[in-house]
Amino acid sequence: MIAAPNRWAEARQEAGRAIAALLVALIVAFVIVLSTSSEPAEAFRTLLTAPMSSNRTRGYWIDDVAKLTLTGLAFSLVFQARQFALGVQGQAYVGGLAAALVALSPVGLTPLAIPVGMLAAMLAGAAYGFLPGYAKARFGASEIVSSLMLNYIAIRMVNYAIRTQLAPPGTGQLTSPEFPPQAVFPAIVPGTRFDLGIVIALVAVGVVWFLLYRTAWGLKLRLVGHNAQFAEYAGIRANAIMVSAMTVSGAIGGLLGSVFVQGKAFGRIAIDFDGNLAFEGILIAIVARSKPLAVPFVALAYGYLRQGAQLMGMRSDVPMEMIAVVQALVILLVASQFTLPGRKALARLFGRKETAT
Amino acid sequence: MTPIIQASNIGKVYPGGTVANDAVNLTVMPGEVHAVVGENGAGKSTLMKILFGMEQPTAGTLRMEGREVTFPGPRAAIDAGIGMVFQHFSLIPTFSVYENVVLGAEPRAGIRFDRKKAISDVRALSEKFRLKVDPLPPVGAIPVGQQQRVEILKALYRNARVLILDEPTAVLAPQEVEELFVALRALVAQGRTVIFIAHKLPEVLAISDRITVMRGGRTVGEVIASEVTERSLANLMVGREVALRVDRSQTDGPLRCAVEGLRLVAENGVTLAEDLTLNVHGGEILGLVGVEGNGQAELLEAIAGLRQAAAGRIALEGAEVGTLSVLDRRGHGLASIPEDRLAKGLAPGATVAENLVATRLDGPRFVRRGILDLKAIRDQAVNLIERFSIRVGGPDFTVDTLSGGNMQKVVVARELAEQPKVLLVNQPTRGVDLGATQFIWKSITDARDRGAAVLLSSADLSELLALSDRLVVFYRGRIVAAFLNSDGLTPELLGSYMLGLEKQDPATLKAALR
Amino acid sequence: MMELLVTVFSATFFVTVIRASTPLLFATMGGLVSDLGGALNVALEGMMLIAALTAVVVSVYAPWYVAVLAAIASGALLGAMMGFFHLRLRADVILVGFAVNILAAGGTVFLLSLATGGDKGTSINLVSKAVPAAHLDFLAAIPVIGPTMHSVLSGHSVLTWAAFLSVFAIWYFLYRTPWGLWLRGVGEYPAAPAAAGIPVDRVRLWSLIVSGALAGAGGAQLAMFNYIGFTRDMTAGRGFIALGAVLLGARHPVGGMLAALLFGVFEALSIVMPGLFSWIPGEMIQIIPFVVTVLALILFSYRAQRARMMKVPVRE
Repeated sequence: MIAAPNRWAEARQEAGRAIAALLVALIVAFVIVLSTSSEPAEAFRTLLTAPMSSNRTRGYWIDDVAKLTLTGLAFSLVFQARQFALGVQGQAYVGGLAAALVALSPVGLTPLAIPVGMLAAMLAGAAYGFLPGYAKARFGASEIVSSLMLNYIAIRMVNYAIRTQLAPPGTGQLTSPEFPPQAVFPAIVPGTRFDLGIVIALVAVGVVWFLLYRTAWGLKLRLVGHNAQFAEYAGIRANAIMVSAMTVSGAIGGLLGSVFVQGKAFGRIAIDFDGNLAFEGILIAIVARSKPLAVPFVALAYGYLRQGAQLMGMRSDVPMEMIAVVQALVILLVASQFTLPGRKALARLFGRKETAT
Repeated sequence: MTPIIQASNIGKVYPGGTVANDAVNLTVMPGEVHAVVGENGAGKSTLMKILFGMEQPTAGTLRMEGREVTFPGPRAAIDAGIGMVFQHFSLIPTFSVYENVVLGAEPRAGIRFDRKKAISDVRALSEKFRLKVDPLPPVGAIPVGQQQRVEILKALYRNARVLILDEPTAVLAPQEVEELFVALRALVAQGRTVIFIAHKLPEVLAISDRITVMRGGRTVGEVIASEVTERSLANLMVGREVALRVDRSQTDGPLRCAVEGLRLVAENGVTLAEDLTLNVHGGEILGLVGVEGNGQAELLEAIAGLRQAAAGRIALEGAEVGTLSVLDRRGHGLASIPEDRLAKGLAPGATVAENLVATRLDGPRFVRRGILDLKAIRDQAVNLIERFSIRVGGPDFTVDTLSGGNMQKVVVARELAEQPKVLLVNQPTRGVDLGATQFIWKSITDARDRGAAVLLSSADLSELLALSDRLVVFYRGRIVAAFLNSDGLTPELLGSYMLGLEKQDPATLKAALR
Repeated sequence: MMELLVTVFSATFFVTVIRASTPLLFATMGGLVSDLGGALNVALEGMMLIAALTAVVVSVYAPWYVAVLAAIASGALLGAMMGFFHLRLRADVILVGFAVNILAAGGTVFLLSLATGGDKGTSINLVSKAVPAAHLDFLAAIPVIGPTMHSVLSGHSVLTWAAFLSVFAIWYFLYRTPWGLWLRGVGEYPAAPAAAGIPVDRVRLWSLIVSGALAGAGGAQLAMFNYIGFTRDMTAGRGFIALGAVLLGARHPVGGMLAALLFGVFEALSIVMPGLFSWIPGEMIQIIPFVVTVLALILFSYRAQRARMMKVPVRE
């Protein structure tokens, strides 16, 4: 009598939808490349194969994957609590600044530089993630608007700090000096960007998964996400959970900042350092359906595409920004109840979600 | 005489395979009051939605005055002269009464909305049909009975010749029901036809001319009201003899819940209820009687910890709990079944097992040092599914795949699993089929017989009279009467207290409150 | 300090404020219309950006009014697209809005480089046109107040006048026509208009289209008057500030207008202050509108929260 719902079928279905969306988007991308490039085949081939081609490009790819995983994770966490807090970018900036301050301080010369830097970044990010949460809990202020505003504020304030406090005076440089080597993540594959960042990201995935599915806090969070009124009634303090979700997510966002500035790619903090990567976490979270275990896979695929676009931008006449079309399309398709024409028939063949009698 | 509405062989099958209507026939004569009765899930609402164009039948034909019609949407039905008053009002709280009535058919002067004409039109209509309501105030500020009148005016404004009412008496006290019936009779006298869906058999027999009975998506009978009794109607609805009573309590236990001088205030300072004093002992069910919104639900919220009291004391098992959180009160043996299971009682997207453990995430049994004991959670879920006959494939299925009755069973199972000492119940069988209703009633009386003190609030007077050992009546936020349940206690008597027409003398009141 | 006051209370400052406020005003009205219908448009930013580029590119080949119309049309088209994904395919409106913003951010750079033959930063190589200013020289002839009126009212963009006109038009629409009633009803409690036979989804679709059109006008003003030409990311958060203005204006057209003007003051200040007070860093001034928006958000949400508890809810 006791049966179990077919999880694999669900997962396969979700993956299938994501892949279908990706294929549609790639077809559109191909059409664009075809119509705007003088060497479309070459450009498209770069897009699809370049990231695999050398140690260096693979390093870029994995480096991106680490960062995308972290931001996707941060968004997934708040999305599971049904909160639309979009402040990961701001958290990454304040986190990056915190890590930079540690790296450039005396601590930066000790073996503690990396862990303390990461910790400082996480604390800063957590504090910054707390703010929209508090505003929502106490004043009912929309976390969408407040977190977006806070992003803009953080970026400008951090830029200001870099420009005036951290950059070597008089040079007009818009970046801090290089961090001492103890404060920079060691490379796993020497000479590339393939560094500690990916390990940190994967550990974060494991931690978030455990928190969400194996702890009472996580179950409460998911229940709040399903139905906040019910959570209140059951004695769960929904407000406290929402705030803590945004705070923990903020810590992950802050960690992203640390990975940015302390990673082999930079080893310093410069203004506008994230290049808007933090927002791509939204796409990752949506495609991964906010499931932590799916995030690294989505990040892997998406990171590949992203890197491919950048290389295509460098090596051909197609600007890398065309990837924006792919990104937008994927979000639109996955976020809607998108089905390819043949899918409905397939779905009926395989049967739908188990329903009770 | 041609029927004004003739539904023949109507079928409705939903994409998931659910058969809501199967070869349903409905014949309504012009100028009559026609009731459609049946349990929840019998298909009445679906049939009405089809009549109103909100759903399309997958089979069968619809005829109005002999001509075949199809309604692709509500607009078409409205144009054909059908108006519908839903159970859940579709009124915009901040819009005024007249704005709500004319919305979608506003009188215009060019592109301008002619407000003056709208107001005068609504005034004229409300006088013509004896549905007294002031057109100007915002709809959110007027009482429920008047809101219903606004709904009816909406339909009449569009020249509805046939009015469909979905459970209109669910929110009204007996005397308000009488007023509604007066209005309905006036409508009929003016040549309109009324169809209404109902549950409450005594009212159905009082107002209808003819009755169609539905069961399991089919029509099982069409009778003339003057020729049937309540019992025979109930049997038609259910297809088996229905026991309409439960056993009175045999035991009397210690004082478990004491409320003294409680005062509940809304955020804006308006007093919702005051001077609430009552005691509930283990082994009894105390029924909270009153028109919805007179303080019963608020009292339950206050005892549960969902609402802060402005003054007064609440004690559970002798311990003051006024300052304790919801979770702490549950720790004292409190359990509560909320009014709206989907909105408050369950997380539909979560699994049955997760829902069953949701109220116990701070105790040591399922959570150790913050980490979930998955095995214990699963075992409990399997256990409870068995014990409460919840029809589901397994504990890992999500709750939104269950039927209404089974969802309510999940709520009941969760709350009764730990032998609560104080049980708060609000509308336990709303939207639940008769079979599940019987089971839930039994669960509540079992809890009572095991020594729990039960506070029961329900809009269904017959449910209160069936289950309660004692009853208290709420009016305007105060307790105005208390009774021991006996055969002499009739809905009419309770109704007169519910509407403030009678007041009990303080001595009797105090005695009955124990 | 005196310098600051003199500058602020001058006619030129007023003109700068009006100029800065115009795109914001359009965007705010756009945000208001869609928000009142229940579909929050977070894509105002992206819509303005795309419209700005459209205006610039079209104006190279066509007269200015065609370019403006093209910008408006591009915004409207985006609104229709959002409507399609949100209303027909049931995607969440915030996510759809974000998709548009992402598309705009990258897409405009991509199209810009195509249009300019490789320049991904600005359209400086393109000869784009400007929206003409309305010179009301006849004002100067009025005795006594004439010259002041002239310096204050003349020289504004034609679109500026259109923007203020739109405030009135929207107010009239919302509170004096039946369709405004429909829109507000749909935004507040969609079940009611639905039961009255009003096509809820169609109303929302039109609100998104109008919202996009207004944002498009804002983009046209931005790239054809405030600046001549397109620069990447030139909207700089204005679309989000507009949402803040909608909130600050208590979701009423006149309030939104005042809020947009207020934010215009801050933008004008950020242009003027560095010259006067070089020790105040540019970044600080830039964050003022965002900070003000957050504070306004908190204040108004708090008030709305309390007001909601005042209302007696419709039971059932």
